[in-house]
Amino acid sequence: MILEASGIKKEYIRAGNSFWALNDVSLSVDEGEFICIVGRSGSGKTTLLNILAGLLTPTSGSVYFEGREYSGLSDCELSGMRSTRLGYIMQGQTVLPNFTVLQNTLIPHVLADRGDAAEAAMSLLEQVGLAHLAGQYPSSLSGGELRRVSIARALLSSPVLLIADEPTGDLDEETAGEIMRIFTSVSKKGTAVLMVTHDMNSAAFGTRSYRMASGQLL
Amino acid sequence: MSEKMSFTFQDIIWCNLKRKPLRSFCLIFLVAALAFVLFGSSLITRSLIKGTDGLAKRLGADLLIVPRGYAQTAEGILLRGSPSAFYMEPEWLEKISGVEGVTAVSPHLFIASLNSDCCSVPIQLIGFDQDTDFIVAPWIKTSVPGILKDNEIVVGGAVAGRVGDTLQFFGRGYSIAAKMEYTGSGFDASVFMNMDAARIAARDCASKMGADAPPEKSISSIMALIDDSSTPIGVAGRINSAFGYVKSGIAVVPAQNIISSVSVSLRMLTGSFGALSAVLWIASFSILALLFSAMLNERRQEFGILRSVGISRKKLIAMVLWESGLISCIGSVVGIFLSALLLMPFRIYIREIFNMPYMMPGFGQLCAIACISVLLSVAAALLASLLSSVKIGNADAYRVIREGGL
Ligand SMILES: Nc1ncnc2c1ncn2[C@@H]1O[C@H](COP(=O)(O)OP(=O)(O)OP(=O)(O)O)[C@@H](O)[C@H]1O
Ligand SMILES: [Mg+2]
Repeated sequence: MILEASGIKKEYIRAGNSFWALNDVSLSVDEGEFICIVGRSGSGKTTLLNILAGLLTPTSGSVYFEGREYSGLSDCELSGMRSTRLGYIMQGQTVLPNFTVLQNTLIPHVLADRGDAAEAAMSLLEQVGLAHLAGQYPSSLSGGELRRVSIARALLSSPVLLIADEPTGDLDEETAGEIMRIFTSVSKKGTAVLMVTHDMNSAAFGTRSYRMASGQLL
Repeated sequence: MSEKMSFTFQDIIWCNLKRKPLRSFCLIFLVAALAFVLFGSSLITRSLIKGTDGLAKRLGADLLIVPRGYAQTAEGILLRGSPSAFYMEPEWLEKISGVEGVTAVSPHLFIASLNSDCCSVPIQLIGFDQDTDFIVAPWIKTSVPGILKDNEIVVGGAVAGRVGDTLQFFGRGYSIAAKMEYTGSGFDASVFMNMDAARIAARDCASKMGADAPPEKSISSIMALIDDSSTPIGVAGRINSAFGYVKSGIAVVPAQNIISSVSVSLRMLTGSFGALSAVLWIASFSILALLFSAMLNERRQEFGILRSVGISRKKLIAMVLWESGLISCIGSVVGIFLSALLLMPFRIYIREIFNMPYMMPGFGQLCAIACISVLLSVAAALLASLLSSVKIGNADAYRVIREGGL
């Protein structure tokens, strides 16, 4: 078991009213699994992923990652975990404009103080078909290319778990298919993949899938 | 691949600055302004204090004797080099030297020059008597000349030109025989010549201005030294009672009196100067803090992404502080450099503006002022960015992302 979340609740307060964005969610992820979560906008998918990635503290419930409970970890330990064991591809465009494609890919590695990984990064960029753009800045890349940069960045540290929030959201079918093939091959090599998507074609690649509705996983 | 292969935390900081040149430039500019004000105001204040410090010693005389009504004018010449001319009879030289307590006297003849092409500030021509002189000789920095010929001059430290150069006054050429050190007093913008040459120059000057020539053999002022057992006030009193305070038509000014009037204006000047620079400083510090906070807010999304790929709070704050530290180092060095560039060559104009004795501190003190200015400016910039960066570092990572608009 890589990840085990149980009884997760998250309460938000907006305009004075509180509501449950997550209401008793439990989920466990094993090595090499490819799990898909679909659900309507606003159903709490991103909230769940942020909690699983240790970026957001749940109101109640617990998350174990590789046997360690998040609430018992310091900010440094959680950050170290994100830069080494867990790759998180957030929703939206998350490639940093100040750095080249290669530099963007290397950032988690640099933050973890783990020496030179330029060769590994280049071979990853090769895998996602971006080797020829390694020295370019993000402003000159297309949406699909940018998404592949963030995938390469998340994969550089060979994480045991890859979390992706709508990685194919704004992409055409063919590009989305390419990304799904990357994810499939990653999961075949043992990395667990947890993906949120709106796209049924993408969801079909999963080995297990869930539907999320009003803060509950069905 | 032309891409540099190794990529470090320092590179992340550097790229953040380099890829946002306008933002970096604005911040550097503000820190530079901070350092400029800080360095400039401390340098000017130090120079004013140093100019007034030991001024009595630097003037080299205990008593100044001038025609009645010209005491202020003479002070102007001695302290600031404001050119003017006035005359008294040469017999006073002997009379004064006969008074008990007076050990040495030396006459000066003042001639106000027109603006000369050597200098952009008006120059005071002064005739002096080399045999009795105790004022000019101690300040000569080049080798001491022999007896000055009629076409030879000794020039103050601020007068442009080197030994051997020729300066023109009233159509006559004079060659520079020696140059004086900076004294911080009116001597810096003065040109000294022997009495005969000065009388000729005075006649040239008078005819050029259409005025009467000065009386034959006349002098303008007498500088006097007194012995250790007398006080300047006491000797001044003796002179007044010997020749009659009113009847004599002369004024005896103890050098201390000149100095104390100067220290009063120094206190006022440094006080208002300090207040002004404090206001400027607080203003630029506030702008800096505001700018940092706006800038860091605008970068929330960027910070959120960095948090999602594993930067810790500590490291995020360190990154921001490194950025502002680097910016403020560059900025403060630039600001101090510009400030020095402006203040060092134009010390004469600055003295004109403040109308006060002005003397630059030595190299060591200059470096100390520069270092303190850099330290304070960097500290101010770090403090300005610390508040906002800690706020962002401590925010829930998810909120950082949310509020960034992802
Ligand atoms: N910081 C917050 N404060 C208050 N409410 C929030 C906050 N973040 C999210 N919400 C609300 O919580 C609910 C779940 O949000 P979440 O982002 O998890 O949805 P989602 O399923 O990812 O939607 P989408 O598919 O559009 O990305 C939404 O109604 C959202 O408006
Ligand atoms: Mg979402």
